[in-house]
Amino acid sequence: MAREKWKYLVKDFDKMVDTYGLAGNLRQCLACGKCVGDCPAASVSPSYNSRQIIQDVLDGNQKRLLASEEIWHCLWCASCYRACPSGIYFPMLMMQIRFRAVEAGFGLKYFQTYQKLALKAMTEGMTFVPREKGRAKVEKLRSEMGLSPWPEVSDKAKSEYNALFEMTGSKAWVDSVANKPEVPVDLNYSKGRINLE
Amino acid sequence: MNKKRVMSLEEKLPSVPEAIYLFRSCTGTLQYPGVENAIRHICGLMGIEVIMDPDQTCCSGYLLTCSAYLPEFSLAVTARNHALAEKRNLDIYTFCNGCYAYNCEFAHLLEDQKTRDTANQLIGRFGYNYQGRAKVYHVQELYYRLKDRIAEKMVYPLKGLRVAAHYGCHYLLQEGVIDDFDLPTFHEEILQALGATPVYYTERRACCGYGVGKVFTHKEEVVLPHLLNKLSSIRDEGAQLITTVCPGCNVAMDREQPHLSQMGRGEFQIPVIDLGQLIALSLGASPVKLGFNANTIKLDGILEYLGIDKGAQV
Ligand code: SF4
Ligand code: SF4
Repeated sequence: MAREKWKYLVKDFDKMVDTYGLAGNLRQCLACGKCVGDCPAASVSPSYNSRQIIQDVLDGNQKRLLASEEIWHCLWCASCYRACPSGIYFPMLMMQIRFRAVEAGFGLKYFQTYQKLALKAMTEGMTFVPREKGRAKVEKLRSEMGLSPWPEVSDKAKSEYNALFEMTGSKAWVDSVANKPEVPVDLNYSKGRINLE
Repeated sequence: MNKKRVMSLEEKLPSVPEAIYLFRSCTGTLQYPGVENAIRHICGLMGIEVIMDPDQTCCSGYLLTCSAYLPEFSLAVTARNHALAEKRNLDIYTFCNGCYAYNCEFAHLLEDQKTRDTANQLIGRFGYNYQGRAKVYHVQELYYRLKDRIAEKMVYPLKGLRVAAHYGCHYLLQEGVIDDFDLPTFHEEILQALGATPVYYTERRACCGYGVGKVFTHKEEVVLPHLLNKLSSIRDEGAQLITTVCPGCNVAMDREQPHLSQMGRGEFQIPVIDLGQLIALSLGASPVKLGFNANTIKLDGILEYLGIDKGAQV
């Protein structure tokens, strides 16, 4: 089976991905695989393998990692974290890997869903606000049980939430990604390994 | 792991508060608003004042939008919400595992002086100042603290109702929680105090599958096969009801049951409600107020079993 060539490898990729130092010391990974054994994503999609993802980060296998479909399978349940003898906070790593993937133009089809939620939240001060029909349903349900028809979120809350979104550059970032073309993936997965054909 | 992960309840919550800053959960408030009423009902009977603040915003759904932007925004939002609670001298009580986790996670990052200064600079423009005084709790801790007093006030004992507790992931994975991640028992203890029969099932500690928006992006490949494992193991034990402590989990397990049936993966008809709703129900809150109409899988069978009139307006 063809394996990746060395020329793809990026030095110190782990530091580049975990910019905020949130994931613990990846270099302490024992490759014991406990995280995989407890992983619900791996149990339903066997090519998903957190131990291998960590290895790819350490190896600097940027190309394979960011382009992979698998990074979008993580449920963020942190079972891996609890099982890990080295205290590696894998979910925090995953969050940052995805950020880098989107930055490189991969996985945009998944990102777009999140983007819509983020943009809607900006004006509502709440995430998951439904569209008109859903809105009417919420109002009816809440009224029936004696609550205000719509959750009480003040205009101040909404405008400040919105302003913070702009001030931190998040709005500019989300907008910039919106018109990005999806980078086609030329890698093939088979049982957790990538073939470069 | 060398950090102190589990705390005794007395250590975490030495005394029952007089008032709480109830942190509005977007999902809870929009999908299962009855949970809000349940908390008010329980706290009302226990003499705790519930304060909800219109100025509070979403916790930022950091993980949900994790690939949408860098954490600075979420740090500022957390600092702002906490500053609001601090101003009232109250601690924050969440009723969503997600809100709990993000608030804890970011409060932790905000301990770093540089990060805190950046956040304060951002929110300072609106006149806020974050000091890190407000502690973050989950209302389930309060239920556990009060379980004996709750049992005393019980109007409808749960008659041995077979209940499968779902703890979810994002509360128990934090530092300083009140029970073990792998084998927690405090929900079962509460259920027992209410006269229910807690059901142990093999996938008890499995995630709900909602997984930070996976329902939108990977429903077929990841969420449904995973839920099938989880719900089958609950059904195999003959559970009549599932309780959650996170509206996100509730959405996944309640709303997705019909889809499993549509896929020909067997019939699932197990109602899913918040633990607070079940407690409030046994304390005599009316089903109308508890908003069971919001549920996809109906509660009628459960109410009948408990001898509660579903239209009762109390
Ligand atoms: S459990 Fe921890 S140490 Fe073991 S392979 Fe996974 S990340 Fe590495
Ligand atoms: S957080 Fe992701 S990698 Fe870790 S156990 Fe859950 S699904 Fe697997």
